[in-house]
Amino acid sequence: MGIGPSTKETTMHHFHDPLVRVVASDPDVDFQGVILVGTPQDNYLKNLVGRRTAFWLEAMRTNGAIISADGWGNSDVDFINTMTEIGDKGISIVGLKFIGKQAGFVVESEHTKFVLDINKSKSGTETEIVGDNNLNEKDAHKALGLLKLKMRKDGQVTK
Amino acid sequence: MNKNTLTINAFSMQDVTIGPKYHITNTSMEIPDHPLFDIDDRLKSIEIKIVDPKDCHFKINTIMDVIPISTKVLGNIGYGMSNTLTGVSVILTGADETGVQLHEFGSSDGYLDEKIKFDTDGTPSSDDKIILIDVTLKSDFEFNRKTCEMVFNSADQFLQPIREELKVMNGRNAAESFEYEDIKHPGKPKVAIVKEVAGQGAMYDNMVFAKEPGGIEKGISIIDMDNMPILLSANEYRDGAIHALV
Repeated sequence: MGIGPSTKETTMHHFHDPLVRVVASDPDVDFQGVILVGTPQDNYLKNLVGRRTAFWLEAMRTNGAIISADGWGNSDVDFINTMTEIGDKGISIVGLKFIGKQAGFVVESEHTKFVLDINKSKSGTETEIVGDNNLNEKDAHKALGLLKLKMRKDGQVTK
Repeated sequence: MNKNTLTINAFSMQDVTIGPKYHITNTSMEIPDHPLFDIDDRLKSIEIKIVDPKDCHFKINTIMDVIPISTKVLGNIGYGMSNTLTGVSVILTGADETGVQLHEFGSSDGYLDEKIKFDTDGTPSSDDKIILIDVTLKSDFEFNRKTCEMVFNSADQFLQPIREELKVMNGRNAAESFEYEDIKHPGKPKVAIVKEVAGQGAMYDNMVFAKEPGGIEKGISIIDMDNMPILLSANEYRDGAIHALV
């Protein structure tokens, strides 16, 4: 488990990143930026980087965030931990990652139901085809839509 | 210079050919079929081919990366002006001389047309010309971060002369020009993106803040920052602040 050919985000993907494209251009949100965080091996560091991410967002007075990852398996621990840390700060959080039939969460929490599956393959597996299971613009719109609903439910927006 | 604005001039390449040296015009480019610098001792060869996505049923080594070609003209990554090539993209593949593939989790070696889905955000358009850089390591190589970085760096070095020529091209001759502004929407809910990326070792790493968009030189590995969260603006992101090493 890690990052396979079909989910890995190439340098070109980052250059054209659909999530940045969609969220940064939406006039209904005040876009703050992208927090890039790694996935350390060590458990102490895994918790630490998640906590630091939540501190950043809290200090930025963020109302809502979308977390995405191009790996699965072991890195789910980081993913869910970071979601929990962000959620505990009272910030609305939704996620995007590859699940399919192969990559169900290795850890579950109250946040897992707010994670959308970016799988595109019929088989629901790591197909070893570059670009096959990458996050696309449609996924980005779905996540932003879900975040808007969640922010409303969480009382982040008044109307 | 307005540090809130990023201008990207796109030069559309209609013709990409192999020749004795690097030469770029507003619509065409010529590149050599091998690096014009001495390659690293750990490498057996670096071979360059021009590939048409509509005719690419041939065997390749595992796809290490797909790379755009872009260069800073004014300012730093995220603001000022960049010149970018469209109609051409780079695929980097790699293995050792015995066929051991350079990947972390799952290999994409096989027939190119079966191992890549064209026309996505992270892959070449099927109308592009592809510069295929195939790197072959000697068989006694060590699979570690240093080796992988050297491979990515060799590809970056091969691309740099293209960027040097692109840098001095006049933006007025670009096929298209895009202006991106960091627009605030006060009163609207504040929203951020969190991107969790690889940061554990060889072929499981990402590099940020290189000198050139999507480049390697002077880049800092997220592993060397202990994977700590860093904040990037949308314009830094779309100006190639990240180079994937997955």
